[in-house]
Amino acid sequence: MKLRTFFYGMGIGALVIAAAAMGWTFLAGPGAREGGRAGQKVVISALMHVDITGAWHELVARFNEENPDVEMHYIEGPWSTDTREALYTTSFLAGESPYDMVFMDVIWVPKFAAAGWLEDLTDWLPPEQWKEFLPGDLEGSKHQGRIYRVPMYSDVGMLFYRRDLLEAAGLEPPTTWQDLIVMAQKLQKPPQLWGYVWQGKQYEGLSCNLLEVLQGFGGSWVDPVTQEVGLDQPEAAAALQLMHDLIHKHKISPPGVTTYQEEEARQIFQSGNAVFQRNWPYAWVLAHQEQSPVKGKVGMAPMVSQKGQDGSGAQGGSGFGIYKYSKHKRAAWRFIVFATSSRAQKFLHLQEGRIPTRHALFRDPDLLEKSPHLSTVYQAFQNTALRPPLPNYAQLSDIVQRHASAALTGKVPVREALRRASAETGYVVARAAEAKPGQ
Amino acid sequence: MQDLGSGMLRKGCFILATAGLLLFSVGPFGWEVLTSIKPSSEIAQSPVVYVPSRVTFEHYVALFARRDFGGYLVNSAVVSSLATLLCMIAGMLAAYALAKLNIPGSPLFLVIVLAVALVPPIILLIPLYEMMRWADWINHRGALVLPYAALNLPFATLVLRAFFRQIPQDLLEAARIDGFTRVGILFKIIVPLSAPALATTAILVFVFCWNEFIFALTFITTDAYKTIPVGIAGLSGVTSPYEIPWGLISAAAVTGTLPLIVLVLIFQRRIVQGLTAGALKG
Amino acid sequence: MGKLPDHGFGLLLLLPALVLVSLMVLYPLARNVHLSFYEKDLHSGLESRFAGWYNYQRLGHDSRFFTSFFNTVFFTGVSVSIELLLGLGFALVLNASFPARGAIRAMALIPWALPTAVMAMAWTWIYNDVYGVLNDVLLRLGIIDEGVAWLGTPSAARWAVIFADVWKTTPFVSIILLAGLQSIPADLCEAIRIDGAKAVQGFRLVTLPLLLPSMVVALLFRTVHAFGIFDLIYVLTGGGPGGATETVSVYVYYNLFRYLDFGYAAALVVATFLVLLLVAILTYLPMLKREVELG
Repeated sequence: MKLRTFFYGMGIGALVIAAAAMGWTFLAGPGAREGGRAGQKVVISALMHVDITGAWHELVARFNEENPDVEMHYIEGPWSTDTREALYTTSFLAGESPYDMVFMDVIWVPKFAAAGWLEDLTDWLPPEQWKEFLPGDLEGSKHQGRIYRVPMYSDVGMLFYRRDLLEAAGLEPPTTWQDLIVMAQKLQKPPQLWGYVWQGKQYEGLSCNLLEVLQGFGGSWVDPVTQEVGLDQPEAAAALQLMHDLIHKHKISPPGVTTYQEEEARQIFQSGNAVFQRNWPYAWVLAHQEQSPVKGKVGMAPMVSQKGQDGSGAQGGSGFGIYKYSKHKRAAWRFIVFATSSRAQKFLHLQEGRIPTRHALFRDPDLLEKSPHLSTVYQAFQNTALRPPLPNYAQLSDIVQRHASAALTGKVPVREALRRASAETGYVVARAAEAKPGQ
Repeated sequence: MQDLGSGMLRKGCFILATAGLLLFSVGPFGWEVLTSIKPSSEIAQSPVVYVPSRVTFEHYVALFARRDFGGYLVNSAVVSSLATLLCMIAGMLAAYALAKLNIPGSPLFLVIVLAVALVPPIILLIPLYEMMRWADWINHRGALVLPYAALNLPFATLVLRAFFRQIPQDLLEAARIDGFTRVGILFKIIVPLSAPALATTAILVFVFCWNEFIFALTFITTDAYKTIPVGIAGLSGVTSPYEIPWGLISAAAVTGTLPLIVLVLIFQRRIVQGLTAGALKG
Repeated sequence: MGKLPDHGFGLLLLLPALVLVSLMVLYPLARNVHLSFYEKDLHSGLESRFAGWYNYQRLGHDSRFFTSFFNTVFFTGVSVSIELLLGLGFALVLNASFPARGAIRAMALIPWALPTAVMAMAWTWIYNDVYGVLNDVLLRLGIIDEGVAWLGTPSAARWAVIFADVWKTTPFVSIILLAGLQSIPADLCEAIRIDGAKAVQGFRLVTLPLLLPSMVVALLFRTVHAFGIFDLIYVLTGGGPGGATETVSVYVYYNLFRYLDFGYAAALVVATFLVLLLVAILTYLPMLKREVELG
């Protein structure tokens, strides 16, 4: 009896071990590090967005061909930039991130630089070569005067309008808010055709919209040098009041605009249900697709402003930085130079409609032929609105988002919302200043 | 187990309730299915398009052609199965111990189990990521199996414990006298009697693992090992990266959920009601 | 091994679960508690600087935290209550004998089976004021005159979020209660019917008490899950409008990944965890005692 039990036990034990071993190999993945060495080659990688058209894979293949001692791994991450930011953050926190290049949105730069995760690239290029990039993109790549990112794509907030409707009414595209409001009221037929759709949901896009209006009134958010908060000034009140009035007083924006992000506004405009739209240039490309109901009927112009002020669109865009503790910085730099070169940027624009970041490309005849709207976009680049390039920008943005959203939905009066936003912003800015003198 | 009896009013109420249940459960999902077979241009239209001009399967094709969705399905299946298995075994043993064997300080263990249930998974992310990096388990499915099993253990343990407690003590005493070992009691008596509870718990744990997002996103970055939710997050517009591809996403949601529905259909047939009645006789 | 007394054997059986849970959950939790006493943010250059009770003092003055806590309590209380009622109703329906019962049970699980992130996106779209299905249906039925922005105002958004969550998690409750109903011995049901008691009486006096253990478990886990809800809110409203739907886990997430304020986030988590633990112990342990008494 005892012997039998013993053998039973052994048998079962052996089975369990065998199953575990099989399960182990079945579970196994390729292992962690994406970087390191593969044979004689240096392997570098970056976490980027999904490569739908395959253009990036082509670029990467070309780079790998031209640089036989380096192998670049393009790692596709989720399409949401916020999620990618969280992934980068997690990998940096654990130390020895597998990513050598950091593909960054403009608002991540000060934060990542202050966290000590980025290599200072200022001296890696002579000043004349840095000047080849658009000024707004370059400013957005800096932290405390030093450059940490090479601009890859650019982006700026634009005003879209229904050219056919304006022309039929004999109107020129508006340059001031007053003009826009009057035109929208005249041409709209809610709810089938709304006057003006924009991004009013409580998220980063709202900060962009508000900043554009704010700067259009000559106001400011937080001065990056003096750290002065401009939210309690009359210009700020006028700006937020205007946005509030668009919905509740002039009624040219649907009440649901407080739930819109880029896609909602674009869908409404592209379906022919809005006269004006504020969005990024990508909406232009999509509006001119085959099945778009508004194909050929759309115009694009720089953002409007208060009379006497210059209109400005929010500065967007992405670029490459180098991870401070990467073991292959030189190789990473070679890839960055390759990817941000005129040749590569031109290729990407022709394939995907990406907005380039070099002055020269906006004068390139091939690009202008394919995308005549580039000249309008270039015009908008002359005066962009950069969100406060501070390490704790995310906190500042959240403060403004919450209070602006409360004002727009009528929960809190505009003046009070700005008072609170201003107080909280001041507190955050002050705490940051006292905690790190000169860091 | 309840016979709601005859009577027109009763039947009417019942039919109404069932209809309500169906509408509630299937409504929004039905919308997803409809979206997945609409051509892209008709998806975000106003007024809403209920009957598409043509039924198209282009989104489903794109799903498997452009992205390795088949691979994602396999990964999800492997990870979820193993995690559920691990969780159920550990949970069953723990539940048996807590329910029927006199453990000193069992309230303490219950509090520990409870405490674990209260921890928000988001704060586990960074420490576990570091742990997985250290063990070189990034892009290894095991990195998901262990956390998933651990996260669901409190649930499995407490649910099973609640059901195990309902089994009459005299039944177990009798079995002991009859010569059953304790483990034998667990597997030969308790398990069959708790079949509904086991099946239910297993299904719920499996679904959790299938749909878990944050850990899967962080621990697996290679396309070959991604699970379905991460795969869906990587879907992008056909023409532009900003575009949210509703058709594609709906097709992915439908495809990703179908295996779960099939699983439930299979499992629930195994819950035979007569089991409880049979065991209590004699 | 067969010679081990009951309690020793029991501890052995507990071991796998304990090991797994200690490694994957308790260890990170302990690290988190430790971190809550340090300052680790951009100001400290992401170095851990000992700060004692500083984070907790900050917490005490943080109105945004209190608002998020209140939002979470409101959200959890309302959602779970509705889910319990609805779940019980569904469980009763699913428990009865009727044709195609298997298929209907499978369908009832659908909301729970869909991935949250995808459904959340679908909801933003269903709730859209211009091209959303909900408005379209209501307009056609004549219930409203013009499209409502369901997520556009703080009060409407709260209810819209609750509804989306109730939709998703009711199956969780109903399936657990269903299992409980099915565990009620057949002869008990027979006995009630033979005694001639009306269905409602039988339900109240016999079924409900027997369902209590499963209800308690379902209630406990739903409450915990609802309290920690993140995905749904992040996608639907991002915590808006005006911070009206910001729950604790959303606030913690922002502190972790947007503000890089790790010490403070750890303190937030510890504070919330302690409150939850207290509530759970106070409600669950008495039920436990009752269970023990009922045998």
